[in-house]
Amino acid sequence: MTWRKWSYMDHWVTETPQGPQPPSFNRAYMDRYIKQLSSLGFTGFDTFFFYLPVYAGMYGSVKRFEEHLQDNGFEKITGIFSAYPSATRWAAPHVRETHDRIVADSESIMRMIEGLSVENFIVMPTSTHWQTEPVTDETIKVVADLWNRVGRMTLQHGIRTTCHFEFWGAIRTREQLETFFEYTDPELVFAFIDTAQHTIAGVDPVQLFREVRDRVTGFHFKDTHDVDRQEQYRTPPDPELQAPYTQRWFYEMGTEGGLVDFPALMREIVASGYDGWLTVEHDKAELGGGSYAEATAVAKHYIDTVLAEAERAARGEATR
Amino acid sequence: MKDTLRWAYGLNQWNFRLDVFVRHEDHRRALQTLAATGFDAVELPSGTGRWDNIARPEVILRNHGTAEAFLEFLRSSGVQQVSSVFWDPSAPAEEEENYAFRFARNPADSDAIVEWSVPIVDFTSAVGAEQLVVRPAHSAWMGAPLAPEEYAVLGALWNRVGRRAADAGVGLALHYDCLSAVHTAEDVERLLDATDPELVGFALDTAELTIGGIDPVAFYEAHADRVTHVHLKDTRHRDAGEEYRMPGAESTMLKGGAGRRIERWFYELGTEGGLVDVAGLVDALRAHDYRGWVVVESDHGGNPAELVMLNSWYLQHELGIAKA
Repeated sequence: MTWRKWSYMDHWVTETPQGPQPPSFNRAYMDRYIKQLSSLGFTGFDTFFFYLPVYAGMYGSVKRFEEHLQDNGFEKITGIFSAYPSATRWAAPHVRETHDRIVADSESIMRMIEGLSVENFIVMPTSTHWQTEPVTDETIKVVADLWNRVGRMTLQHGIRTTCHFEFWGAIRTREQLETFFEYTDPELVFAFIDTAQHTIAGVDPVQLFREVRDRVTGFHFKDTHDVDRQEQYRTPPDPELQAPYTQRWFYEMGTEGGLVDFPALMREIVASGYDGWLTVEHDKAELGGGSYAEATAVAKHYIDTVLAEAERAARGEATR
Repeated sequence: MKDTLRWAYGLNQWNFRLDVFVRHEDHRRALQTLAATGFDAVELPSGTGRWDNIARPEVILRNHGTAEAFLEFLRSSGVQQVSSVFWDPSAPAEEEENYAFRFARNPADSDAIVEWSVPIVDFTSAVGAEQLVVRPAHSAWMGAPLAPEEYAVLGALWNRVGRRAADAGVGLALHYDCLSAVHTAEDVERLLDATDPELVGFALDTAELTIGGIDPVAFYEAHADRVTHVHLKDTRHRDAGEEYRMPGAESTMLKGGAGRRIERWFYELGTEGGLVDVAGLVDALRAHDYRGWVVVESDHGGNPAELVMLNSWYLQHELGIAKA
């Protein structure tokens, strides 16, 4: 048996009469995009909170959008991503005075997906490192308090709050991650492992998964060519697109020179008994002339071949 | 695709310009894209020479050494076989007398074209492809309409190539295109009548026929015994009359909009406003127990990976064919 629960994170750029745009450009492009993902065999769809009103407008409601996904071979919307990458005076996870606003925002998102069976509310736990530093024990405690509050609230809506760490975020090292998980309630706050982000930050995602397995509710499977050894994570205002020494951080699975050991992670996932969604993400795949469509197909080929083999091997080991 | 019909995909949409689709890494990504969408056989495109690392036989062999090594390269990226090889002798190539122009209608050119076909036939056989698909005549705008007696010249030429192909265990299929001097249904019938059915088949291209004013389903029903190869793609437009005769029609009609601002002629299966009855043709192929390859194409259409996905989606969801 090969893994059935593969979802796709809603980054995509396609050529339109008005230049390269996301498929949310209009309904026709959106319909094509859904068919394209479906043709590859993805059955879960993760998206950003800010697309929910767009899709509701385009399809009638978020529920109707999900029904359209289902008409095209998907099971459901699996995750909603929310973030405050830039700290502002209104919302910054490390500033306790802004927490009410963030909780209210999160509650508003819960209302938008009421009645659906979304599993993960995926959040960036902090803003940029350069806006948050110095990152102290107390900083992490404040951030943890926020997500404990949000986690309690989203569980009342049947959805788990799960934290997706960026290489440029304020919680990025092994020690900071450990502290964060210590300060957050394991019943309320979960972990979402982005393979590339952790690798860039110098954290082995396979080892991290082993350590926090019981709290993991999802993954972004993407690769990178670089570990940040020059403190590029501190580049203001945005280390993802303005790092001085690295033009492009993220690559699809199967990329030559990729640093993530996906087969090892797959074996670990199978051995652990994890049975949730695995999500393919391509972020900024168009940098250097790449195509989201091709990157997605190449990644799916990698899943169908290399990861399927790793999975088979792991299942064989598990039964011995 | 798991089906009683055999499905392949044309690589021509990636090879859309002289200096693109050159590096092996580019080939690998295209092949993996096809594998991930359920296509495990490919048709190799025609080419001119330099940079045709997945088209011209001599260049492929320069890259990979042997046909078997080339096949191994394909297999390592998830594509198991070559269904067919396309060759357009009216397009100049390095290996064909250094970009010589020769015309199939000209009896004095026949020997050279037959000689040019030898390495193509040999390579087609060596990679285990079943069909050599050829452009049988030049573009209509390049000369006077074909006189009835010129069909005998075309027929004799393609019979000779067909014989060589048959000796190598390969079928020869004459491909219809909407710019060809062989344009109407009567023209096609005249060409087929001039050839030996044992040696020469017909490559039915759904969009090209439709643009040329021929209903591909009706044509197939009438000539199923001669159809040995199929190219499946859609179109939203028909030639308004004599557009195929526009000087430089490859540019002025297919790329220049034919004076009526048509930005694109070829579309993916299931396109809105598509004129081709794709499901009808597939039903007809099944009804006639068609044994050849069905090659899905999307040339001149846009992002190749996106179009492959849409075509795969159509086969899976509209025709009910399992991907694997």
